[in-house]
Amino acid sequence: MPSRTVQHTGRRCGRGHGTLPGGRAVWHNRSIPTGVEIALNGTVGELERLAAEVAEFCRGNGLDEGVEFDLNLVLEELFINTIRHGGCGDQADAARIRMRAAGDTVEVEYRDRGIPFNPLDAPEPNISAPFEERQPGGLGIHLVRQIMSDVRYRRSEGENQLTMARRTESK
Amino acid sequence: MMEVTQETREDWRVVTLRGRADSETADRLEEELRSAVQQHPKVAVDLRAVDYISSAGLRAVLQAARAAQGHSDLAFCSLSAAVKKVFDMSGMQHILKIREELPC
Repeated sequence: MPSRTVQHTGRRCGRGHGTLPGGRAVWHNRSIPTGVEIALNGTVGELERLAAEVAEFCRGNGLDEGVEFDLNLVLEELFINTIRHGGCGDQADAARIRMRAAGDTVEVEYRDRGIPFNPLDAPEPNISAPFEERQPGGLGIHLVRQIMSDVRYRRSEGENQLTMARRTESK
Repeated sequence: MMEVTQETREDWRVVTLRGRADSETADRLEEELRSAVQQHPKVAVDLRAVDYISSAGLRAVLQAARAAQGHSDLAFCSLSAAVKKVFDMSGMQHILKIREELPC
């Protein structure tokens, strides 16, 4: 797999005013030794690049369209939260993603430097509620929890760190 | 990327969407659907060629359905497998008018 390089600036979102270098780079490996690593700047436009990276990762690992769709969806939901609610909008190097295919699972690690946010604590939206009572928020995290298993959160080194898995057998 | 076309067929305004309904395209999607329901009493949205939708796309759809309430019949038609899956996970099938085929 190709690896990419990103400078770890140690900057936290909401502070500093870095320009967006558009850079991507390799990140020191910790829990996931191989696979793809993606660093995203805090702009919605990065979604297109993310989708291309996910497509390449899936093709390279023989993963089907269903897996690709789910990974795109989950990563978009997390990334949009990071830039809209986490204080990482327009920040360089706002989020970092690692993915690794291992047996019948894709392991995903998602990190950002935004304000502390544990998606596992977010209230579940009521998806049976009548139309008048539907709230527009909360659906993104709901989708993440529906699709991914073994979701774990920790706050460490000034980062939100989320690990999770997507089974690759049909679901 | 999302492509939106609108045309009138019989007494329906048909809005055809192609591509991704995501955070990048959601604002435009909401605008297109709102303008359709504000100007036409019957609107059918063709979702056959939408291969991706996220919660941002769902929000656009919900907001349009809200705008349609009381004065426009808004139907979501020919859901692609991807859209159906996300609609189902979010309970959209309980609150939106969904049709297997376009009305015309």
